[in-house]
Amino acid sequence: MRSESTRASSAAESRYRIDAPNFRPRTVKVVALDRPSEVLAARLEQDHWDGAMFLTASAFSARPPVGASFSVQAWLSDLSGRTRHLLEEIAGADQVVMIACAGQSVPAAGIIGEACSLKRVATTALIIGGDAASDAALSRTLAQLRPWALMLVVAGSDAYVADMLRALRA
Amino acid sequence: MLRKEHNDLLTKTGPGTPGGRLFRSYWLPALLAEELPENEGPPVRVKLLSERLLAFRDTQGRYGLIDEFCAHRGVSLWFGRNEESGLRCPYHGWKYDYTGQCVEVPSEPEESGFCTKIKLKSYPLVERGGVLWTYMGPPDQEPPLPEWEFALVPPGHSFVSKRLQESNWLQAMEGGIDSSHVSFLHRGELSSDPLFKGAKGNQYNLRDSRPVFEVVESPGGLYVGARRNAENGHYYWRITQWVMPSFTMIPPRGGHPVHGHFWIPIDDENSWTWSFDYHPVRPLAPDEVEAMREGRGIHVKYQPGTFRPLANKDNDYLIDRAAQKAGRTFSGVAGIAMQDASLQESMGPIVDRTKENLVSTDNGIIMARHRLLRAIKNLMERDVAPPGVDILHQRVRSAALILPPDQAFKDAGKDALSVRPGVAHASV
Repeated sequence: MRSESTRASSAAESRYRIDAPNFRPRTVKVVALDRPSEVLAARLEQDHWDGAMFLTASAFSARPPVGASFSVQAWLSDLSGRTRHLLEEIAGADQVVMIACAGQSVPAAGIIGEACSLKRVATTALIIGGDAASDAALSRTLAQLRPWALMLVVAGSDAYVADMLRALRA
Repeated sequence: MLRKEHNDLLTKTGPGTPGGRLFRSYWLPALLAEELPENEGPPVRVKLLSERLLAFRDTQGRYGLIDEFCAHRGVSLWFGRNEESGLRCPYHGWKYDYTGQCVEVPSEPEESGFCTKIKLKSYPLVERGGVLWTYMGPPDQEPPLPEWEFALVPPGHSFVSKRLQESNWLQAMEGGIDSSHVSFLHRGELSSDPLFKGAKGNQYNLRDSRPVFEVVESPGGLYVGARRNAENGHYYWRITQWVMPSFTMIPPRGGHPVHGHFWIPIDDENSWTWSFDYHPVRPLAPDEVEAMREGRGIHVKYQPGTFRPLANKDNDYLIDRAAQKAGRTFSGVAGIAMQDASLQESMGPIVDRTKENLVSTDNGIIMARHRLLRAIKNLMERDVAPPGVDILHQRVRSAALILPPDQAFKDAGKDALSVRPGVAHASV
């Protein structure tokens, strides 16, 4: 008698995999942490996305005075400049993707990461331009993102961001 | 999720396909050298990248890899006679040398020179490290011979096996860079497998089943780092190497040999999983080789006389539901290799990636696809040689390291991630 596995994994049987949606749309909030990433986010926003929303933290990344730390009562902005409450945005996300350019200082990563921890939202961090940056510059950016990302990717090309978001059905 | 047209680009590797052109840029493992153990021995049928070929070793010990079928009436030359520096078709006596050149057509007058007009397609076949490697691309673009460390260490320092994988190459290879499955599917093996147990690093693995991942592009492919907490605020890193198109090296454990894989398409629905173990600075111990031959570590036991695993889809991979329930194995299938293969084959011959729902920890897989697609595009549109062809991309090692929390592993582990002749791999 042929085994169940032999039959089930054949090319002929593969045709009978149920052709019904097996997912519901996800809300992915993409947060650009610095000015160069904001330019990338603005470009990406022009494409068609299922559930991706593009925000920036670059406006508040320079805000805290020396010696002061961020508070989770912070604000993001969308790319048209409207302010958005950080905690509300995070609470409405299935996934947060933070984007930074290698060598940039991204102090906002900590506050966003903390808010994600608070709201139990998965975080991914992408560092773009890793090929061009020096090891020291890359390490600086990495050190700021590492504590807050469940997955951290150092990509040579910013084309990866779009591919990754599509792969995640954003 | 991957669009269907991209899935087709990556999974179809036959002649004339973009994915096939990518694979035809590299030296590929074709056979174990032990499959052609003697001059004038029996030829071996080889299917690679959807091309049916025949490998043989002639009277002078030269290796040939030629079109399987006689140019006369299409008979399989597997039935041929390997004699006097060539392979003779038993039907009408046509004879071919190791380059596929026809050297005799007995029915035609010798002086007619007819046989010089007949030549079978052939590819170079070269022995290195116990493996016979072939290059199936344009002869004028043949790259230097492969320089993977396992193939260059002295005899006795390495062990190489291959097994039939009844699925497309990509879903098998993606398992090799999907580090997050290890904590589930293979959790039983860390304590029991003789080729893994006893390493200090295992304690970090078992203590922390939720590693954090970092994926970093490397010149030849990717570093996939899995990070767990170690003592004094330091991190225990396990860094897997992926080099395009389908080489992976798993991080070492303690003083055990280090191991890895190649996944090579036989056709679009089957592949060879090549598995190697080696130690850069010492011969493998007899008990290690014995364990590998017994199918431990990343190797398998075979159906006698074949390279098909003993546990295969015809016998439901010998699944043991009692072992699954008792937690001796997580899936009920024994052995790391077949734990992987059983699940990858269960996806069907070519998994429909339009139906998948990837998550953040799948970024290694997403990045590998991204790089493969980019390489195919550059190759097809601009004739750019893909990453992994350059022998510098092949001189890599996986590593297990303890590092301070603020260091980039690519930076801090630079030496450990490259081949250092005479130096053991970095391991914990």
